[in-house]
Amino acid sequence: MKIAIGCDHIVTDIKDEMVRYLEAQGHEVIDCGTYDFERTHYPIYGRRVAEQVVTNEAERGIVICGTGVGITTSANKVQGVRAPLVRDVTTAKMARKQLDANVIGIGGRITGLGLMQEIVDVFLSTPYVETEESKQLIASVDALASTSRGLDGDEIFDEFLEKWEAGCYVD
Amino acid sequence: MKVALSADKASEGRKQLIVNHMEELGHEVVDYSGDDVVAAIVRVTDAVRDGEAARGILLDSFGSLSYMVAAKQSGIVCAQVSDEHSAKMTRDHNNSTIIAMGTEVIGDTLAREIVSAFLGAEYSGGRHQIRVDMLNKLA
Repeated sequence: MKIAIGCDHIVTDIKDEMVRYLEAQGHEVIDCGTYDFERTHYPIYGRRVAEQVVTNEAERGIVICGTGVGITTSANKVQGVRAPLVRDVTTAKMARKQLDANVIGIGGRITGLGLMQEIVDVFLSTPYVETEESKQLIASVDALASTSRGLDGDEIFDEFLEKWEAGCYVD
Repeated sequence: MKVALSADKASEGRKQLIVNHMEELGHEVVDYSGDDVVAAIVRVTDAVRDGEAARGILLDSFGSLSYMVAAKQSGIVCAQVSDEHSAKMTRDHNNSTIIAMGTEVIGDTLAREIVSAFLGAEYSGGRHQIRVDMLNKLA
């Protein structure tokens, strides 16, 4: 299966380990970054993974940041993405069966590597089971975020990166 | 503070427990639950965006549907959580104003503790604000 993956600088080593794990299983992985530990911003990578999935470049997406909230929410803000943020295998399985989830979010500082690999295995192998209810729910979800800028490229974030460079975002 | 809430039919018992817990903590709860689960979730996100409520709590079987629907609303940062640390950190780092929880994967005590952690934490701002600005640009 072709899988897009993305992370922020907090969990790059975990993402790299997941890439090795997926490739060892024979999957083709599109690594959307980040690629090192330099401080960066999760929406950049959540958006890139989402774009790969909704344009059918990748069949599924995996996103990881500290809690998983930031990067998974970024992916969900792109129309057509259905991304649960999970800490257990059952939630991943049910999101595939009931909602045909196409991206999965995990917290790299929340969930250990062994559980993370099991979650990904189940996310990739569980089929969607279509029912009247699930069809309606998915149609409702897919109708949302219709004004999203998710497919307008990395450039949509340039204005904020300029402000960041100018020192406008200080603790 | 004022907290908006929605729950699906299967989460009715959990909803009562969470309402009682929040009222004991001194919060005012507004229940937006209804037959159309997606519409109820959107009523909660609208209430939070418009300032009618300061926070929102969404309950369904696994939390995933509530999370996806809320996260897609413009100007809303929602977190799907099943542990207390994520509930606290997502206020601190992401300025999340809404959490989604799965009734079938979280027990009563943990659910109460997650709500307490979420309602008791505040946003740090600073370097985290660039990411929130980026989220709002996306949708």
